[in-house]
Amino acid sequence: MKVKVVTRILEANERIAAENRRLFDEARVYVINLMSAPGAGKTSLLEKTIKELSGKIKPAVIEGDIAGTADAERISSLGVPVIQINTGGACHLDANMINEVLGSLPLKETDLLFVENVGNLVCPAEFNIGEDMKVMLLSITEGDDKPLKYPLMFQESSALILNKIDLLPYTNASIEKIRKDAMSLNPSLKIFEVSCKTGKGIAEWTDWLTEKVKS
Amino acid sequence: MHEASIALSVLEIAVDNCRKAGYNRIESIRLKIGRASGIMIDALLFAFNAVKTDTIAAEASVIIDEIPVSGLCSSCGKDFVTEEKYVLCCPECSSTSFNIKTGRELEIIDMEVF
Ligand SMILES: Nc1nc2c(ncn2[C@@H]2O[C@H](COP(=O)(O)OP(=O)(O)OP(=O)(O)O)[C@@H](O)[C@H]2O)c(=O)[nH]1
Ligand SMILES: [Mg+2]
Ligand SMILES: [Zn+2]
Repeated sequence: MKVKVVTRILEANERIAAENRRLFDEARVYVINLMSAPGAGKTSLLEKTIKELSGKIKPAVIEGDIAGTADAERISSLGVPVIQINTGGACHLDANMINEVLGSLPLKETDLLFVENVGNLVCPAEFNIGEDMKVMLLSITEGDDKPLKYPLMFQESSALILNKIDLLPYTNASIEKIRKDAMSLNPSLKIFEVSCKTGKGIAEWTDWLTEKVKS
Repeated sequence: MHEASIALSVLEIAVDNCRKAGYNRIESIRLKIGRASGIMIDALLFAFNAVKTDTIAAEASVIIDEIPVSGLCSSCGKDFVTEEKYVLCCPECSSTSFNIKTGRELEIIDMEVF
């Protein structure tokens, strides 16, 4: 006997993401889902951003890693509320993992929640967690062919941060090519060039971010 | 890369719907998977075979309808279907303003139960 189902496979995730969304709206928290390949500089960007916003915007962080607490310790040393999620193998954070830790965060006293996703250029882009926007980080040492090889994350993100531009002299990566390919995948993408080492470009990014959070 | 969690979701939804319909064995499950969904079909089938053991879907086969990427160009007005996973410009007129219509599907359509 045939049973009609017609259900989106990720429907359960979408439902929980919507519930997270409701909790975020209620507490008036702006939420960023930060995604990149391993080592592109997500935690470094958070450190720089949090320092730059200090006194203006109250942040909190959820750290997603397959294992370990190193990233959460880096954030915690800045005096910012942080929760580490260990996915135990899963290549991305999903809405349910976020939902389970929300009770342990001071959401009401938070303006901006950063969720550092598991380092991976593919899967995190598939799973909404209830965020206001997805932000993608690409370090220029990863190569300028990445937009066309991993299009989905570029398409799903509102902003692209090109990190490690201090290393530009040592690579053959073309920022122009990255910009052109990324924009062809996503014409409304906002692109920043930064170095988390020298601090170059960070202020431009945090100014833009502040505007988003306050509006 | 997350085919395992997708396989688990498929199993959960299928078992749930089978029980709701008042049956307790699943014979086959039909899925609609878009080419731009990011899912590797072989990996999904492999993962499903691993998670289905000791469930009411233990004997179930998975049938997959692969959906190509298609869209409608806003410049030349033509519908297009492509073999590619991603479309950067209209295959007819090379315009970059178009709307994607299919290719991101990830759905369970129906199943045979007994
Ligand atoms: N030269 C240079 N190095 C950087 C820059 N940003 C980060 N790094 C270095 O890159 C390495 C990885 O940085 P992380 O911030 O840990 O990267 P991540 O994306 O959080 O890594 P995972 O969480 O493991 O995926 C560290 O050694 C950083 O010091 C930069 O702008 N320039
Ligand atoms: Mg990190
Ligand atoms: Zn056209």
